[in-house]
Amino acid sequence: MLAALAGAPPAEAAAALWDGMVGTPYAIGSAVNTAAVLLLVAAGFLLAHRAGLVNVGGEGQICVGAVAATAVGTALPPSVPPALALPLVLLAAAAGGAGWAAIAAWLAVRRGVSEVITTLLLNFVGAAVLVLAVHEEALLRQPVTSSETLPQSAPLVEAAHLPLLGIPGSPATVAPVLALAAAGVVALVLHRTGTGIRLAAVGLSRPAAHRLGLGVDRLRFSALTGAGAAAGVAGGVLVASAPHVLDDGISSGYGFSGLVVGLLARGSCAAAVAVATALGFLVSGGINLQLAAGVPASLTQVAESLLILGIAGTAIWAVRAARPRRAHRPDPTSPRAEATP
Amino acid sequence: MIDTLTDLLAAGVALAVPVLVAASGELVGERSGVLTMSVEGMMLTGAFASVVGATTTGSALVGVACGAAAGLLAGLLQALLSVVLRADQIVTGIAANALALAGTTFGARLLLERGTVVPGFDRVAVPWLSDLPVLGPALFQQTGLAYVLLAVVVGLGFLTSRRTTWGIALSAVGEDAASADRAGVPVRRVRFLAVLVVGVLSGLAGTQLALAEVHTFTDNMTAGAGYLAVVAVIAGSWRPVGVAVAALVFGLAQALQFTLPALGVDVPFALLVMLPYVLALLAVAGLVTHSRPPSGLTTPFVRLGRTA
Repeated sequence: MLAALAGAPPAEAAAALWDGMVGTPYAIGSAVNTAAVLLLVAAGFLLAHRAGLVNVGGEGQICVGAVAATAVGTALPPSVPPALALPLVLLAAAAGGAGWAAIAAWLAVRRGVSEVITTLLLNFVGAAVLVLAVHEEALLRQPVTSSETLPQSAPLVEAAHLPLLGIPGSPATVAPVLALAAAGVVALVLHRTGTGIRLAAVGLSRPAAHRLGLGVDRLRFSALTGAGAAAGVAGGVLVASAPHVLDDGISSGYGFSGLVVGLLARGSCAAAVAVATALGFLVSGGINLQLAAGVPASLTQVAESLLILGIAGTAIWAVRAARPRRAHRPDPTSPRAEATP
Repeated sequence: MIDTLTDLLAAGVALAVPVLVAASGELVGERSGVLTMSVEGMMLTGAFASVVGATTTGSALVGVACGAAAGLLAGLLQALLSVVLRADQIVTGIAANALALAGTTFGARLLLERGTVVPGFDRVAVPWLSDLPVLGPALFQQTGLAYVLLAVVVGLGFLTSRRTTWGIALSAVGEDAASADRAGVPVRRVRFLAVLVVGVLSGLAGTQLALAEVHTFTDNMTAGAGYLAVVAVIAGSWRPVGVAVAALVFGLAQALQFTLPALGVDVPFALLVMLPYVLALLAVAGLVTHSRPPSGLTTPFVRLGRTA
């Protein structure tokens, strides 16, 4: 529909979109890989959101996680077995993302600064850290041998590459499995453990949670750092997948798309899996749309953001529908509840 | 050394103007109790629309009108979401930014051709004053549009100061919407208008960036300046002078990106790029305890006793 604006025949564009989504095993594989990255970010978002924190910093956490993963992945001796190398790399990624989110978490807990502002600003700083890392030979840039040496890192050691799932012609790695596991763990923590209930208590009302004797600060700090760790792993997954190098365009909007998934999922990890899958296919279809039909891939982002605006804009009706029916006269005992929806 | 300082100040002030213009709009919005995170997107939309307007008609003034109109439209959308539909202001703001980024990137492929000359504004040197050492070029050698916009900012500052009826109404609505409502202040109308002001000023800020500084449109050309404007309001403790100082500091920090490499100082470019944001982080981290946002910030208003 929007594609027609760009001068491509709609039928051709639709075919390209469809091809890019499910046309070949390759397309399906890369869509699933994208979905995995989105799901990781979204799982973290859901964790922090349960404690009432909005993590807008997925992008920066991905960048720093990817930098940390590369630092470890390129420094390991080639003789390290994959069973050790891969966990080390992903652990480094998690630590990087968590550390990055910890800055925002500390500021939120200690100084009362809105985590929305800080995680947002940290996105810009994180992206610059990534650029710095791949442009400086002293950091992670591959040795410059000629003027054509690209600003990117040396490839990760073989043992740190994410193994493929082994489907013929498909680039699908074990990332989807990893992401599903992460989403499962988050779901388990949120819905089946005491920690989940405590996080929800903090999210619903900080003063009330405090009076219940909960360590509100500690819970909020851990929730946001946990979200950062998940996004960091997403960054680690990105560098550990082909072409196994770090470059400055490694996270092109995955942080934002992950946030979209988290918001659309409305607190449910199962919904996050479904939304991430749908969005993963849409994103990789959009890329093919650009390659085959010459329609800019930014159209996918237009669709994504319109989706959020629509959902956020209509939330007021959703809330109204969810409320029990009441008499026309407002309940005189709780007028305040009306004022602060 | 003196020359460098002069260049740095001139570039810093030039880069501070768009941030300041957008931040002064955002200040009005936040004082009314609406946090408009979409300043970034509004600036980008304004920049895009102004370049499209200026290249199609060949007139820079039409470009300015287009930029302001685009900002107004973006403000209308945000006001509809934040005030009328009472949607989450942060979420819709960030989504609107993504929409603006993707939309203008897409639009630029359709409507703009590479290498066309964009009619813009050139620097005007005020006689004598611009020859002053160090400060002369910074203060008296900006573009005509910059002077007009600064006048608008100062005018807006006076109109909404805490001594005018409008300014008092604005603060009342932002601090205690329920009391303001009982006193007969049209809460939603004030907020709606305030968000429109944010939109127009952000659109103009983007126009200034595109037509007077960069003289073209590039994808994501605002690159976070809108977020810096939002932070400038926080760092400036919701006071016009403080906001202006914060905007100036951010402008200078951005200017270092161009001045230091020209000097031959070997600092990695990425470090200079992150500097304004690190400063912004330090600003919100250090200053937030000394000041207090308007009490009603981000809380939508519903009259008591009305069912949602």
